[in-house]
Amino acid sequence: MDRVPLAHALHLRMMALRDTCQQLQDLSFPSQIRESDWLFPTLETVHVLALVLVVGSILIADLRLLGIANRARPVRSVIAETLPLTWSAFAVAAVAGSLLFSSKAVTYYDDWPFRIKMLCLVLAGINMACFHALTYRHVAQWDMGPTPIGARVAAGLSLILWVTIVGAGRWIGFTTRE
Amino acid sequence: MISQFCKWLDATPLSQTFQGWVWFVPTVQTVHILCIAVVVTSVGMLDFKLLGIAGRERALAAMVSSFMPWIWSALAILLATGVLLTITEPARELMNVAFRTKMLMVLIVVMILRRLEFALRHNPGYGATPRLGARLVGAGSLLLVVAIVVAGRWIAYL
Repeated sequence: MDRVPLAHALHLRMMALRDTCQQLQDLSFPSQIRESDWLFPTLETVHVLALVLVVGSILIADLRLLGIANRARPVRSVIAETLPLTWSAFAVAAVAGSLLFSSKAVTYYDDWPFRIKMLCLVLAGINMACFHALTYRHVAQWDMGPTPIGARVAAGLSLILWVTIVGAGRWIGFTTRE
Repeated sequence: MISQFCKWLDATPLSQTFQGWVWFVPTVQTVHILCIAVVVTSVGMLDFKLLGIAGRERALAAMVSSFMPWIWSALAILLATGVLLTITEPARELMNVAFRTKMLMVLIVVMILRRLEFALRHNPGYGATPRLGARLVGAGSLLLVVAIVVAGRWIAYL
């Protein structure tokens, strides 16, 4: 039986993805973003405005979970205050970010800071899902008292990942400049 | 005159050293953006409270006293990182209309925040029931922080 070596199969997969990126950036709106003088900077501004709100609101929740800020307030009321902002700002950042990506999809696909950023976003999502499924389920037991180790680990990981996401995001602007 | 100052600053050994480090500008900008996240989110939440949109559960005084230390520390780091970026690329910042507008708006927001602290010190019930004055302070500072971020990003394009 003839087997394609794994590395080769992966390479083919990545080339196919790269072709998809090329097709994406050839579409009409992505081309318009790329060719316009003001569309890219405007979308980028919306992306930055939204992402500072995502990071700022996540920071408030993480610092509470780490026991650094807002210790006198119940965890649940801190999170109830920040989570709607986190999600709505994330939706805006994701839409604006996707449009930015579509305009130079192949360049971003090949860019290492972009890949690192996407990886960290996925890891941050998994981290958040685990925290909600495992630790936050029992929040009633530790709402006011010291937060359990699981919550501290999740908050610490979240901080590291989001700082990396912002840093990698800023780096993309320098490695993809014409 | 400012353009001569830019030329002089650009030629200083410090500026030349920073310019020689390719990682310097993106790294300092990353710290700058993280602090912008702290300030914009904190001021935004205070403004929503002033506008009566969110934060009904807490008194304004409690929110201000929990956010202000973070806002002032972040603003101090923003000033420091902003100075470093200006030393590295003086003309990009000082000669830029977006940069100048941004600095003016930052000054106004700082004055509004000082005024808010002052008002609360003399009247802890300030903003408890959203009145026109408090709403105007909220709307004005919200518009300003948004405009500051917009102007900041456009420094790169103007």
